[in-house]
Amino acid sequence: MTTLLEQRYRTVLRLLPAYYRAEREEEMVETYLDDMDEADQDLSRPAWGEVASIAALSVRTRLGSSGAPPRYAAIGSAVRLFALLSVALLAADALTERALPAAWLTGAGPRDRADYLRTFTGDGVLMGVVQALLWALPLAWPVAYAALLRDRRRAASVLALLAAAPWLSYLVGWPTGQGPGVAPSALTVVAAATAWLTVAAVRCGYHSDAPPARLPFAPAGPALLGACVLMGASMVVWPQGADSVWGSGTAVVAAGAAWWVVRIRSARSGAGAAEPALPLALAALSAAVLAQRCALQDLLASAQAPRALVLGGWIQAAALTVLVVTLAVSGTRGLLARTTATAARPVPRA
Amino acid sequence: MTQAAFFILTALIDEPRHGYGIVREVEELSDGEVQLRVGTLYGVLDRLAADGLIELDREEAQQGRLRRYYALTDDGAAALSAEAERMAAGARTATRRMAAHRPADAHPQPTARPGRPGLAGGAA
Repeated sequence: MTTLLEQRYRTVLRLLPAYYRAEREEEMVETYLDDMDEADQDLSRPAWGEVASIAALSVRTRLGSSGAPPRYAAIGSAVRLFALLSVALLAADALTERALPAAWLTGAGPRDRADYLRTFTGDGVLMGVVQALLWALPLAWPVAYAALLRDRRRAASVLALLAAAPWLSYLVGWPTGQGPGVAPSALTVVAAATAWLTVAAVRCGYHSDAPPARLPFAPAGPALLGACVLMGASMVVWPQGADSVWGSGTAVVAAGAAWWVVRIRSARSGAGAAEPALPLALAALSAAVLAQRCALQDLLASAQAPRALVLGGWIQAAALTVLVVTLAVSGTRGLLARTTATAARPVPRA
Repeated sequence: MTQAAFFILTALIDEPRHGYGIVREVEELSDGEVQLRVGTLYGVLDRLAADGLIELDREEAQQGRLRRYYALTDDGAAALSAEAERMAAGARTATRRMAAHRPADAHPQPTARPGRPGLAGGAA
């Protein structure tokens, strides 16, 4: 007879993917209920620790590595690539956003320098320390990038958390001068969501069974340096059109365009369907930057920004939209092919 | 090798065990230090099976539910042996260093030379 505890436990097990439940559910239920007094089973619930362990197993099985069914291996690979590319983009953004003002300060007049420094010193010592922390913490992104590529997963995860932490303060409006209770702008929310989504992808994607992080097509150092140069150059070359999303958008559009060039060449040379992980990861990254771009366009419109700035933003938004759609279609096609393969594959056994 | 994997392999040394048997044996082996949740157990079993360190021994039906027994493979025994040796070597190093740094007045030795309290234990 099925007890209430068994029913509840089977409900928790529904967190697991169907292929895994088909193979393991009966065995897991037996392991869980063994030695439990049947009379008590209608009065108890699965412990929270047990639920957490099933949830963790669910993430691990859904974001599989090479031994997992093809569909889940592809999803896992896509999430890990998104995590790596997003950390790289955030790292390049953090470096560029600090390098350009530093370069500007070297040639700035004393008054401009004093104005810049007043950002840190104008509101007292405590706020100065807080502002300095908010300025410095995003520099943990480049370190997280290096840690991820050196397969220091725990360090990368902690560093990503640190780097994303300033977005929490921005969200609550403190200490940016907005004050608590003031609603953050849509751009702030979207940028914070992107940073925390990246943290989640690092933590979930790089579980202990996952393969080490590898950057596609390019060595890690030159790739980060190239992204910094591209982002910085795009802002320097057209300063009247550059806003806080411009550099990231340029880098993502360049990466997406490069992927399409490589894809078209390999299709001409007779290569088969594209691996879905990279286009899906690039599509997700492009979507995150597109969301930031749209949120910023809203702000620019309400602030009656110069026409060139708004126009440049819309052109970039259009390019990002094309990328999101085409990359998502290409990646989804590849993923569907693997879903069919997963359905046809015999259930794995220990 | 994680602590959970180490204890699971250790639990399978003497005989094949099913899921709950492994949970109980690991708890006993670790003096209650390691209490495996089912999700954790099967995550580690999947990994150990994929690495060829354990294998399915047999299946039994128990009150209409499934019991699978897992056995240690030769590769699993070798991996466990290597890990145990690595841990033992680490423990020996730690013990040696602790002995070398033990303060002279904590365990006075009649042969200890004045002025060299770090060598009082003489274990190094």
